[in-house]
Amino acid sequence: MKPQAVKGNQLLGIAAAVAGWIVPGLGHLLLRRWSKAAVYFLCVGGLACAGLAMRGGVFGAGAEDLFDRLGFVADLGSGIFYFLAHQIETAGPDIAHATGDYGTRLFAAAGMLNLLTVLEAYDIGRGGDPR
Amino acid sequence: MSALFGNLTHFGAMMFFALVVSITFAFLSKRTLLERMKYTLWAFLAFILVAVGIGWLMYPFSQ
Repeated sequence: MKPQAVKGNQLLGIAAAVAGWIVPGLGHLLLRRWSKAAVYFLCVGGLACAGLAMRGGVFGAGAEDLFDRLGFVADLGSGIFYFLAHQIETAGPDIAHATGDYGTRLFAAAGMLNLLTVLEAYDIGRGGDPR
Repeated sequence: MSALFGNLTHFGAMMFFALVVSITFAFLSKRTLLERMKYTLWAFLAFILVAVGIGWLMYPFSQ
């Protein structure tokens, strides 16, 4: 189904980007890109939930190490899944085992993927390529 | 949540990662359904092949 055109502007782009960051896919939903919104929510959400279920670690804001800070930025990219991480996986992280370490990477990957979708939402919102 | 993903093997987690990232990249970069399906399949297989290849390359260093 061909998406209905939304007349873009800078404000709409920023609103879509912020919405898409908070809830993956929400920015595309605002821009009437229904299939993209659903796919991005499922993919980012699935990856984040898998990372948490594997008891991966979530980086906090107070990291001192450069890599931990980068990890924080990556994790923060997953939006609501970052803020609800402790509610989604109540058992907490277990990075002493390889599975937990993989979970940490999956969660960071979810954040980075969502940041890519946020950039696309911003581009579509401001009237860029409506791919 | 743990019941769904908690029992993933390492290989299963890698396959899941490869599939999800491939689908997202396909939707980010391609327009039509056919193009997206082709790209997803191609990227998924490339992820798996490269991961297994790097695994074999690293194998001698684990001894």
